[in-house]
Amino acid sequence: MGLGLNLEQTRQSILGRTPLGVFLGLLLTVLAGLGGCEDPKPKPAAGGAGNNPGNAQAPRAEARPPAETPAGGIELVFPYGSEKKLWLDDVTATFNNARNKTASGKAITVKLMPMGSGEAVEEPLSGRLQAHLVSPASGAFIKLANAKSQASSGGPLVESTQDLVLSPVVIAMWKPMAEALGWPSKQVGWSDIIELTKSEQGWAKYNFPQWGRFKFGHTQPEYSNSGLMAIIAQAYAGAGKTNDLTMQDLQSPAVATLMKEVQAGIVHYGESTGFFGRKMFSSGPEFLSAAVLYESVVIEANEPGKYNLQFPVVAIYPKEGTFWSEHPVGVINKPWVTPEHKEAAKKYIEYLLQRPQQESALKYGFRPSDVSIPLAAPLTPDFGVNPNEPKTTLQTPSAEVINGTIELWRVQKKKSHVVLVMDTSGSMNRDQRIQNARAGAQQLIEMLGEEDLFSFMTFSDKRVWLAEELKIKDGRARLNQQAGGLIANGGTALFDSVYAAFQHLQQRQKPDRISAVVVLTDGEDTDSQMKIAQLLNEIRSDEEKKNIRVFTIGYGTEANMKQLDDIAKATQAKSYKGTPQNIRQVFKEIATFF
Amino acid sequence: MADERKLTILGKFFVFLVLAACFAGAYYLWTRSSGSSNPGVPGQNGTSAANGGTPATPAAPGPGSVSTPEPRTNANTPAVTIGVAYGTEKRRWLTWAVEEFQKTPEGQRITVKLIPMGSLEGAQAVIKGDQAINVWAPASSLYEGTLVDEWQMNNSGQNPIAKKEILALTPMVFVMWDERYTAFIAKYKELSFRTIALALAETGGWTAIGQKQEWGFFKFGHTHPNQSNSGLMTLVLLAYDFHQKNSGLSLGDITNVKFAEWANKLQRGVTGLSNSTGKMMEEMVQRGPSTYDAIFVYEANAIDYIKNAEGRWGKLRVVYPEKNAWNDNPFYILNVSWSTKEQRAASQVFLDFLLTERVQAQALVHGFRPANVAVPIKGADSPFTTMEPYGLKVDLPAVCEPPASEVLKNLLISWQRNRGGS
Repeated sequence: MGLGLNLEQTRQSILGRTPLGVFLGLLLTVLAGLGGCEDPKPKPAAGGAGNNPGNAQAPRAEARPPAETPAGGIELVFPYGSEKKLWLDDVTATFNNARNKTASGKAITVKLMPMGSGEAVEEPLSGRLQAHLVSPASGAFIKLANAKSQASSGGPLVESTQDLVLSPVVIAMWKPMAEALGWPSKQVGWSDIIELTKSEQGWAKYNFPQWGRFKFGHTQPEYSNSGLMAIIAQAYAGAGKTNDLTMQDLQSPAVATLMKEVQAGIVHYGESTGFFGRKMFSSGPEFLSAAVLYESVVIEANEPGKYNLQFPVVAIYPKEGTFWSEHPVGVINKPWVTPEHKEAAKKYIEYLLQRPQQESALKYGFRPSDVSIPLAAPLTPDFGVNPNEPKTTLQTPSAEVINGTIELWRVQKKKSHVVLVMDTSGSMNRDQRIQNARAGAQQLIEMLGEEDLFSFMTFSDKRVWLAEELKIKDGRARLNQQAGGLIANGGTALFDSVYAAFQHLQQRQKPDRISAVVVLTDGEDTDSQMKIAQLLNEIRSDEEKKNIRVFTIGYGTEANMKQLDDIAKATQAKSYKGTPQNIRQVFKEIATFF
Repeated sequence: MADERKLTILGKFFVFLVLAACFAGAYYLWTRSSGSSNPGVPGQNGTSAANGGTPATPAAPGPGSVSTPEPRTNANTPAVTIGVAYGTEKRRWLTWAVEEFQKTPEGQRITVKLIPMGSLEGAQAVIKGDQAINVWAPASSLYEGTLVDEWQMNNSGQNPIAKKEILALTPMVFVMWDERYTAFIAKYKELSFRTIALALAETGGWTAIGQKQEWGFFKFGHTHPNQSNSGLMTLVLLAYDFHQKNSGLSLGDITNVKFAEWANKLQRGVTGLSNSTGKMMEEMVQRGPSTYDAIFVYEANAIDYIKNAEGRWGKLRVVYPEKNAWNDNPFYILNVSWSTKEQRAASQVFLDFLLTERVQAQALVHGFRPANVAVPIKGADSPFTTMEPYGLKVDLPAVCEPPASEVLKNLLISWQRNRGGS
């Protein structure tokens, strides 16, 4: 008998026998069900190694969409120093998608919250943010927070930490400028910065008159790690030491003098290292000659195609010594962190320290804390960095000395002259605008230093000067009161008022101060003589004679953000979209520039 | 079609295949859900959390997932968990050993929880009654006397130690960056506590030592004597070195004025004072010569990290102090009220596993000298052969006797007074 005939007979004979047919039908259904269950072990990604449990594979291109926290999931709130944002975004997406579970079966998701290192520890410390783990850029902020926590509640905020990735603090400088100073064959450091700052000739001394004077910047030490490391390094350099900085050292005239001399070259401070870096790279050598940043930021800058750099940027490792930012991570010790949160946090931290994630960090310009990973590209000279540096590192001092250094900086820092220009037109009466604007203004006044100068102008269709060139220490209380008593009424002569404030500063040119206008407005210009184009022309910064910064806040929905952006851009400042909810935060951030 | 037909041979065969496939599939599902004890078979590690699959099994290694050993139970024998407080110098070896143990039949019911703690920290935790600890595994027997004395004071003379076995041995070494070592030797001829004291006191730093201004000051580190075994061992060997003896370190030796002056001066120059030997070795390799020129750690740490150092900064050099001592990594099964009979039995099982040739051979890979004498130290693959060019040696010139707990106590007091507290 041929096979074909047999098959037909067979089929008919099987299906024809009813009980057997039903039985087989059921079996086939079961088989189909089994076949539908995939082997859940995923195929290894290219280059993935071994079958060791816990060895997470490299993230695949076809990542699933981010998981929402399902009912019965557990969420970890994670504030952290924003320098490592790109790396953490990458590896955490993969972690969240994998739906790792705690012992009780809850799926773990991590909510990333990038911010300045100071804020990252302050928010959980104060209870404003119920965070479960935290990672500032360096252990200095852990020390500070633990000391505060010990004093107020008898216990540390974070008990033990592990280092995630490392990146030394460096002075980032345009390559030809660094070469003019003798880099790389000569060791460059803070003493060179000081010499340059003091010199009236500026870069002309090195045959680069087109770059003007030496201009420098670092972030605000109370909010941002790189700024804090910069001032401690200045203190060490002044004391001629590399470890054991003491309160006594801070009182020596040599330390005060060095710090003051470095600070004199500062263009402005700021809240975020990333912002500083981006400003420097996109604005070019006319805006900043150098800034205190991280090695990882320099690597990022030199990535082909990222910025339209006029010249490559190089990392200078100060010869007097520098700090490592070691990105410690630790679980927070507060009542809202349950044992299950601790368990989940431990799993996530373990994951971050595993080899694939550590190798990924190298890609983003960090030195992995896992030392079994040798340093390779992009930690190479063609990205502007030197893996054999730093040659001298400094020891993090005690919390007491850190606080002492901040106090010293407040005295020695570059002072400011700030003109606050507030819109008090009739529309400010709507939506609690004027009330919240008052609070915002008071926030700014509160944060300025004793020696800063303050001028206060309100405008509607007319201008009123409430204060002119008042030293904060002579009038803080009064200014606070005035800010609290603002009343709204009238039109909006925005451009004329901005120009008036600008001229006010121009006429009182103080090269040793940061000169800035902070203008808040909730609407379009309705009453000015001056037009926007003319205003922009008048205020545009040339970084030599004209470097008055105009920070703009577009408050509410009717403000013309495009014009406000243009004004800020023209003066190398920043514009903000303000709401009654965020206005205090906006003023707070602006205050960090001074 | 109503005819009765008989099933052909092919038909019977086809039916048989279908039935066989069903049973095979059912069996496959059943073995996966009850957990396989077959090590090294891929895909047998249970379901992935990503699929929300069958519960009570460890997560499969999908991207982003972290798996931790979870207690597995067989219906018959009861599961038992033991907590092992161990010194971090053994981290890499013990972590591997626990993973391997969990794959054995005994490891199915015995869960080992590793609790990293400084050696002294572990003793103090036991004294305070930390119920998570059933086994104490410090770096050396230095603190044994302290634990026994304090425990007996509070527990009417009862001995807290049921059993003691040596796991592996490691002496102390100086680890220094090779380039710096060469410059150091050019001036001081040898690396020892005496020459280190001179280098630390040198106010001109490396400029004076070797005309290397860019190297800054000479930086030497050891761990905190109150928190870490190697730190306390440093003080002991400092004392033996000064007095040029190998045994019988006395209170008189410690309080000797000349010794105190010399030791205190040296100590004031020490930087770092980490609470963990392993962490300090790791920091040296992460941060390079700018943080430490030389540190005093276990030989095992040096062996573990020598290769890593080359991928970061360069070659390391290992030098043995003239007066050395064994860190014998004892495994103490505790005789305490919270440790059940089952837990003690389980601890013995784990101990036996740690002493097997295979596990002891792995200890050698991580730089420890195995306690099991069947494992040769100087095989072709042994680090003592491959890393000889870095200064590694099998034989030690002189080994010192651990001093009495009274002497240790006073060494610590003297150190603390000098440093002005912790």
